[in-house]
Amino acid sequence: METGTVSRGKSAARMAKQNGTKSILRQPVLLVAVILTILLLLLFVVYPLAKVLIFSLTDADGGFSLENLISIITTSRYLKVFGRTMLLGLIVAVLATFIGYIFAYTVTRTNVPMKGFLKLIATLPILSPPFVLSLSVIFLFGKQGLITKGIFGITDNDVYGMLSLIVVQTMSFFPIAYLTLSGILESIDASVEDAACNMGANRWKTFWTVTLPLSLPGIISGALLVFIQSLEDFSNPATIGGSYTTLSIEVYNIITGTYDMRKGSVLAILLLVPALTAFLLNKYWVNKKSFVTVTGKPTQARKMINEPHIKWPLFIFCILVAAVILLFYGTVIYGSFVKTWGVDFSLTLEQYQRALRFGLDSLWTSMILAVISAIIGGLLGMIIAYITAKRNYYGKRFIEVSSVLMFALPGTVLGISYILGFNTPPLLLTGTGLILVIVFVFRNMPVAIESGTTTLLQIDNSIEEASTILGADSGYSFRRITLPLLRNSFFSGIVYSFTKAITAVSAVIFLVSPSWTLITSKIYGLFDLAKFGQAAAFVTMMIVILLVFIGIFNRLIQWLLAPRSRVPSLKSRSEGVK
Amino acid sequence: MSQNVKSEFSKKSSSVVLENITKIFQQPETGKDFVAVNHINLTINDGEMVTLLGPSGCGKTTTLRMISGFEYPTEGKLMIGGRDVAKVPPNKRGISMVFQSYALFPHMNIWENVAYGLRVAKVGKEELIRRTEAALELMQLKGLESRFPNQLSGGQQQRVALARAVIIEPSVLLFDEPLSNLDAKLRESMRDELRALQKRLGITSLYVTHDQSEAMAISDRVVIMKDGNIMQQGSPTEIYEQPNCRFVAQFIGKANFIEGELKGRDGEAALVEVDGSIIAVPRPGAMPGLNIGDKCCIVVRPESVELSEEEGPLSGVVKRATYYGAKIEYEIERNGQSIIVENYNPQLTKRFEEGDLVSMKLISQCLRVLA
Amino acid sequence: MKKVLALTLTLILVLGMIACGSGKKASSNKLTIYTAFPEVEVINYFNEFEKETGIKIEYNRLSAGEMLTRVEAEKDNPLAALMLGGSTDNYINAVEKGLFEKYQSPELANTPANYLDPTGTWNPIYVGCIAFACNADWFKEKGYEYPTSWEDLLDEKYKGEIIMAHPATSGTAYTVLATLIQLMGEDAAWDYLDKLKVNMKQFTKAGSAAPNAVALGEAAIALTFSHDALQLTPEGYHIELSFPKDGTGYEVGAVALIKNGPADEQENAKKFIDWICSEKGQALYAKYESFRVPTNTKAPVAKGLVTLDQVNVIAYDAVWASNNKKAYCNEFESRIVAKPTE
Repeated sequence: METGTVSRGKSAARMAKQNGTKSILRQPVLLVAVILTILLLLLFVVYPLAKVLIFSLTDADGGFSLENLISIITTSRYLKVFGRTMLLGLIVAVLATFIGYIFAYTVTRTNVPMKGFLKLIATLPILSPPFVLSLSVIFLFGKQGLITKGIFGITDNDVYGMLSLIVVQTMSFFPIAYLTLSGILESIDASVEDAACNMGANRWKTFWTVTLPLSLPGIISGALLVFIQSLEDFSNPATIGGSYTTLSIEVYNIITGTYDMRKGSVLAILLLVPALTAFLLNKYWVNKKSFVTVTGKPTQARKMINEPHIKWPLFIFCILVAAVILLFYGTVIYGSFVKTWGVDFSLTLEQYQRALRFGLDSLWTSMILAVISAIIGGLLGMIIAYITAKRNYYGKRFIEVSSVLMFALPGTVLGISYILGFNTPPLLLTGTGLILVIVFVFRNMPVAIESGTTTLLQIDNSIEEASTILGADSGYSFRRITLPLLRNSFFSGIVYSFTKAITAVSAVIFLVSPSWTLITSKIYGLFDLAKFGQAAAFVTMMIVILLVFIGIFNRLIQWLLAPRSRVPSLKSRSEGVK
Repeated sequence: MSQNVKSEFSKKSSSVVLENITKIFQQPETGKDFVAVNHINLTINDGEMVTLLGPSGCGKTTTLRMISGFEYPTEGKLMIGGRDVAKVPPNKRGISMVFQSYALFPHMNIWENVAYGLRVAKVGKEELIRRTEAALELMQLKGLESRFPNQLSGGQQQRVALARAVIIEPSVLLFDEPLSNLDAKLRESMRDELRALQKRLGITSLYVTHDQSEAMAISDRVVIMKDGNIMQQGSPTEIYEQPNCRFVAQFIGKANFIEGELKGRDGEAALVEVDGSIIAVPRPGAMPGLNIGDKCCIVVRPESVELSEEEGPLSGVVKRATYYGAKIEYEIERNGQSIIVENYNPQLTKRFEEGDLVSMKLISQCLRVLA
Repeated sequence: MKKVLALTLTLILVLGMIACGSGKKASSNKLTIYTAFPEVEVINYFNEFEKETGIKIEYNRLSAGEMLTRVEAEKDNPLAALMLGGSTDNYINAVEKGLFEKYQSPELANTPANYLDPTGTWNPIYVGCIAFACNADWFKEKGYEYPTSWEDLLDEKYKGEIIMAHPATSGTAYTVLATLIQLMGEDAAWDYLDKLKVNMKQFTKAGSAAPNAVALGEAAIALTFSHDALQLTPEGYHIELSFPKDGTGYEVGAVALIKNGPADEQENAKKFIDWICSEKGQALYAKYESFRVPTNTKAPVAKGLVTLDQVNVIAYDAVWASNNKKAYCNEFESRIVAKPTE
């Protein structure tokens, strides 16, 4: 029924929003969360970005100038680099999402063996500084490569260039797609797929007509995150890109090579345009196609696929990818035990002794900052997902867009923006550990937000409404209902934030201070001196520590948010059981 | 047991009053406004069970959601227990709701699901346990406490949802098509159970459904909605026997409309000319908006027609005869119009075959006249 | 769930305390330095300085370009008092941007005038010249002699074996470019680079990537500073140097006082400059095998190290090079890098 437009002068869109805004205003906890989030984003995203934007659009005397912008737009070379960056991003996004999907599907839908191992493999690549994979590629496939020279006797293999870059970025970033996708595949209601199966659809048809469309929001989110990561990535193109220059490299070149901070900043900000476009397209898409499958109408537990002709090919694919990743990491671990890579392969523990003597405190600093920022970032990410996924009000778009900006900004410029923003009182944060935590939180949060949002979109509103109608305010509902239901996303978000924080390179170059030196800066320095063994030793230690921490996080989240299965009774209570 | 249970659910219910309530949405595709609920007035008395009945998109769910507080009226006044709740969020309204999907918390066991509202209210531990156990007992869920929602049958899930809703002793209990996910048999028994519970606890209830038999069976009063407007409200009897428009007549049960013209009145009775002959309708109803000389129709319920082979003013051909056991349903074609006739106790009466020529005798006490 | 909240709050609190606690201790016994020296090298100098003066040095290691960028970004409230290491190229640019306080150490008396800063702002502390860093194993295997002139590099036997960084990202590579232009003249230099490109493996991003590639055997010859290449040899890599007889360029490394740096560190900073320029400070290059050539002529030179008087160095004009950097780098990109090889 349509009774035409309302006679009053308000536009419909505005009214809908006002409605949402009104409902927020009636919920104090939610209101506080929204306001606080907006304030935080204004302070730690918009403000530094505005600072660097203003800075880049002024000349040395402080006057307004578009000279840099014009010179960039009119230089055909930058356009070419721009095109290459986009091309790389697209290819990597497609490949990484594909691999991530297969992993996620295999783990959540089939009963293949070694699932724990596959899960581990799918997170391993984000557990180390990105340039490590590049280094492995050189070690394995370079002129002196263990494989190219050692096995095939090829000595003129050129590993530098687009192909290696695609391989390395795909391997580095597919875990992001995996994390987003496994969350969403996990939360697709088993009965939906069972229903399709019962109606006579075979597995393939079920997948094609039900599972795949339902996981589309996750696919798009995952691909988007990978795409943005590829655009922003600095370390891999720097180590293995060869003459395939990308925009973030160009930014770095302009800033540190030709000492032109302003021009570099302009270029970096231009890099935000494609990233933001992709992001907004995704928002539009996912919101248009919102699929609810967790309805609160409970269904039976999922039956895992056991047909050999489905499960084994998937398993073999995953194992092959796993083998490649293990090969890469094995190379690094092997490298940490040899005396001089490429020259003297005799085994030694020397590298570890030196590494411990040289960087134990930085390792510790990195660890503490990463833990803190991961927990804050994970929680804030869930809160932002919660307050944006299903509500509409004034300021929501702002939260959505601004929360992703720092993720897409090349690290070099992000560092500069924070210096420009927080180097003078009253906002004096440079030189503290806090600024690093803040950078980590706001830079790495989008993965948590995306993964939380896609999961939330799958959860029927009525579950939260049921909590509300039983008297819970939004804070209580969030803690007792939403967060536990989001625990997989929460975990993914924390793991991602944690590992990214601990492996960050370009974003922190300008923000580490003598009392807060991070291990990655040290590792990067070791590369300059070809102390690969020592660098490898650090990386190996980091991987071990990361795995331990992830195990702890996992336990902690399960403990805090696990399903409640205890049945209290008056008897047990009087006996003093907690 | 029931004595004990009753004391656990002290009566706190209260009336609900909707005054001139309107809700306007924006259509996402066109951006145009959409009036979901159009200036409705409705009172639900203390302890009463009222059903909102209507086809999908009629505004019944929106009305329910406005009472729950999940939607805010664009216009109008909403009172619960004499208090204007315009500015009261859902969690402070002291009401409760049973959802279509049950909305059980998948990560909590049955015990915690049921106890949730009490935990929110920070009820003391002794009381929490006592009341939860009472609610579990009330809904016959004892023994299932430690299971998770997905380990229960549909009926059990429904009971958990009910237990969870009543445990907080709501002043108003809302039902959003709570039985639509159950199979037919279970639906009927749950329906009766639910009505019994509501009567026992005496909670003011609003029940939304699109299933008319459910509405008839469960309610003190049925409110029929269409396109955001209330078409008619009244007891199930009134609604069925005194429909005030064709829509209601057709929506509640089955109805045939025989077109004619209102020729005049004979005391209480209405005289309707159909195909040249006059049919006297002794209890035509209020005949809203009808004057002598207007086109009108006679509402004929399928069970109010007797078929015979004898010649008569209303005759037609049997197009379809469907045997249901308890009844036979005939579709009779007359002047291009299909008339549905139900013949109960087919073992006692003559049966007709497709193609038979029959005459229809209308049981005049059961006829109504509408515009 | 309160547990989560409590945990988070506790963590934030702890962090806050740590951050505040170790933020800024108002003591004049401290010195904060940004340095482009490799960390493993510079830590020795800092330890020596601390032992001698009792002044505690806190530092961050960055590449020269990053260091300059950071100092520029922080100029409203610099966190460090000194910028140490990296070639004068960066320092000249920083002087132009007004990022430094003038300070000339009295110890510069023993430093040749051609190394000194004409503006009197920064202090030269080491020199190193451009060399051909050769992978000894490769040359041994092939039986080739090390190249000894720029012309030698054009020999087709080196196809794909020569590596240098990109001048836009690496001060080293820019010194190579500026050297060639000063040595041959602009047109001839571009022609030469055109031909050299055929033998070029890659223009790496980081300056250090070139000698690293030679160390790992990825390339046979790197065009780099002698000290950067030799620094890899203690690690076990077989790198040997040769120099173009027809002349080569060099870099001067410097140290300078950052303008408006921490007030309580100013005296310490000057003390450090004096100390590193002194004979004692300059002798440390030899002591710790850093392969840098001291600018203080009284300081001893490491054994086996090539000093500038043993090599045919051109009269390298650092100021000219710095002023023309942007133009030449752009030209290099469009004329050499972007042009496809046949």
